[in-house]
Amino acid sequence: MSYTIALAGNPNCGKTTLFNDLTGSRQRVGNWPGVTVDKKEGTYKKDKGINIMDLPGTYSLSPYSAEEIIARDYIVKEKPDAVIDIVDGTSIERNLYLTLQILETGVPTVIALNMMDEVEARGDKIGAEKLSEIFGVPVVPIVARNGKGILELMAEAVEVAKGKKTPKKLPVFDEKLQGTIDDAKKLLDDAGETDSQWKAIKLLENDENIAGQVTEELKKRVGEVAEKAYGSGADLEAAVADQRYQYIAKVVKDAVKKGTTGHVETKSDKLDKILTNRILALPIFAVVMYLLFACTNSENFLFLGINSPGIWLAGIVESIWGWLTDLVAGLVGGASPWVYSLVVDGIMEGLGAILGFIPLVLVLYILISFLEDCGYMARIAFVLDRIFRRFGLSGRSFIPLLQGFGCSVPAVMATRTLESEKDRKITTILAGFMPCGAKLPIFALFVSTLFVDSNQTLVTYSLYIFSIVVAIIVSLLLNKFVYKDGASNFIMELPQYRIPTLKSILIHGWEKVKGFAVKAGTVIFVSTILIWFLSGFNFDSFNGTNAAESEDGSVMCEMNDSFMASIGNVIAPIFKPLGFGEWRPAVGVVTGWIAKENVVVTFAQLYDEDVTDEYLEEYFAQYSSEELEELGFEDGEYDAEAAGDIYSEGVLFEGGDENALPHMKDDIKTKAAAYAYMVFNLLCMPCFAAVGAMKRELKTWKETGKAVAVQMVTAYVVALLVNVVGGLFL
Amino acid sequence: MALAMMEVGETREIKEFHGKEEVKRHLQDLGFVKGERVQVIGENPSGMILLVKGVRIALNRGLASRIMVV
Ligand SMILES: Nc1nc2c(ncn2[C@@H]2O[C@H](COP(=O)(O)OP(=O)(O)O)[C@@H](O)[C@H]2O)c(=O)[nH]1
Ligand SMILES: [Mg+2]
Repeated sequence: MSYTIALAGNPNCGKTTLFNDLTGSRQRVGNWPGVTVDKKEGTYKKDKGINIMDLPGTYSLSPYSAEEIIARDYIVKEKPDAVIDIVDGTSIERNLYLTLQILETGVPTVIALNMMDEVEARGDKIGAEKLSEIFGVPVVPIVARNGKGILELMAEAVEVAKGKKTPKKLPVFDEKLQGTIDDAKKLLDDAGETDSQWKAIKLLENDENIAGQVTEELKKRVGEVAEKAYGSGADLEAAVADQRYQYIAKVVKDAVKKGTTGHVETKSDKLDKILTNRILALPIFAVVMYLLFACTNSENFLFLGINSPGIWLAGIVESIWGWLTDLVAGLVGGASPWVYSLVVDGIMEGLGAILGFIPLVLVLYILISFLEDCGYMARIAFVLDRIFRRFGLSGRSFIPLLQGFGCSVPAVMATRTLESEKDRKITTILAGFMPCGAKLPIFALFVSTLFVDSNQTLVTYSLYIFSIVVAIIVSLLLNKFVYKDGASNFIMELPQYRIPTLKSILIHGWEKVKGFAVKAGTVIFVSTILIWFLSGFNFDSFNGTNAAESEDGSVMCEMNDSFMASIGNVIAPIFKPLGFGEWRPAVGVVTGWIAKENVVVTFAQLYDEDVTDEYLEEYFAQYSSEELEELGFEDGEYDAEAAGDIYSEGVLFEGGDENALPHMKDDIKTKAAAYAYMVFNLLCMPCFAAVGAMKRELKTWKETGKAVAVQMVTAYVVALLVNVVGGLFL
Repeated sequence: MALAMMEVGETREIKEFHGKEEVKRHLQDLGFVKGERVQVIGENPSGMILLVKGVRIALNRGLASRIMVV
């Protein structure tokens, strides 16, 4: 016999921590309300017949935001065999409010009293037996974070599920209200509705969702019942909430002994005094953000003259890959030319172009997850609320946008926690503008190839600023012209500050690396081969023409005659006004939609021609003889033999970057055009995976299409401006 | 008076809420029910941090000015 046991509770009460304990899986845990936005299934480690379902947190069974609907519907409609209701012992009164509603549904329930370590540290005592006696369901104290008590908890849960133990009815409401509920319940029973008890209460509470599920007739008659007892226009909803809380107050008085009376200032309160201080809050936030990027992507870490951890790790990964490439090249050296070309120029070169960036993204991810786990995230959202409000959003939108710096897919999913539809729609669009980890390689490639003599760090940072400025402007415009409903509210629980566990941080990091490995092994790998094929072959490859014409009998063609060139040449004119109307950059944009990493993969393959003697001669022709001497030519005379070395050491790689692709200069001639290209890729439609996520959040293809259109138009207009205006200055 | 007018450290009882039904319900779910005592424990340009039922909750100023206290 197999059972499904669902984990339900308030946001941030430890559901996912418990889920990970029980199933051995590695779901994201974070210390702010709204981490889990979807239900997740797993099997119990100790008994494969038991399914565990992690649910998004919810404050009540009358949902307020989209992810709360998921939790409610699961409990009420799909009916698990048992629910483990997780109660955060440090805020037991508020948590029991949901408990009462879960018990009302009649689903077999076990209560897990979590965070008992913190409860004890406060000196509070919660009488689990007393609570169990009152509620008539098992109550088990646990510490999800270290696994204490979960065996007992599961034993009870399985027992309850087996016995289908429906909780008893509690004397929550006063006589008059209970009488009204009973009358409404009878109406529902007569109409053949299931779950009549629970639905009766929800109908009296004016829950629109439930009201939509029953007939108009029934709704009217329940309304009449309420009116008869309370008069017309009575606020039954408030009465229900009020009496629930009064009942809870009584329960807590009986079962909980507080270590202290009244509120004593906790460590969290003290930290809040500084971190949400009216003057200090924003400067502190700015410093934190600066540190975030300094650790990730700086060659002068904290002005110490050393590489940041991210860059340092990237160097290691690149040298390992270089070694591996040589090894593989040696192995396939004897094979036919096209095999060599596929393996070395295609796959190794292509994947290598992005591999070096994983450490950067990894470090960024780990740091973001640190912010999430310690509890600061909710504070930033609050502190930024005032600023975001000016742009027509609420501070909560900050969280998806920051996640967008890592990857757009979770960022788009995180918009689910936003309460207003307007905020959700706008933030979904803006999330696509963020410089996600996969866009970093584009910036790095361009900066190291086309901005050799500029302040490269500044160019990269400017793109981050650019994405934020564009997001602000687009949000303002959308608020002004498209979505005119006013500002939304900001209501957010501020959790206690907690020191993140190493485990949770490692989980974040590991998931990121695994996710990337999967992506590299599937989407990007296939793209790489596709790009290699399309750029190395044409129709003549298959009718023998190429083989007959080439010296070594190879069927491959010149890149300029390839399929890819033909496709690219069709779309390239669109980009002419932006400064990069050639087929190779155009193809880069398109492959980027499959995965943004592909832009660099494409460039690495398409611009991989060696620097020829002719190219060098032409290149050095622009210099006077004094300049040539300065560059290292003896007596200032051009010397074909020395040119190669001088070019790579003295000219191109002054920044020391062996990933630069000199031939990019042939197509993207000015800095304005190069910047426009980066900006276009930064802002245009995100990858298909992200578009899929957008569809899930926006529900219809029509809305998704609109959102993508906004992104495309923004990208085009801004890149055009950059190319035209930039052309005047650069 | 409105909750938004309270000073840091002050504690008062909630009287009523003027605003949308669904926001009102959400506030109730979070413990903002009539007669509940709330304490202001922090304040900044975004809004205020309140202590309700032993939980810290941040509200923007606009919302806080629609919650009436006595
Ligand atoms: N001290 C303590 N912290 C816990 C415990 N269980 C969870 N946490 C922390 O509470 C926060 C929220 O946990 P999470 O599982 O994401 O909660 P969810 O939102 O209900 O899924 C995280 O920072 C956890 O590390 C516990 O038993 N004791
Ligand atoms: Mg969770």
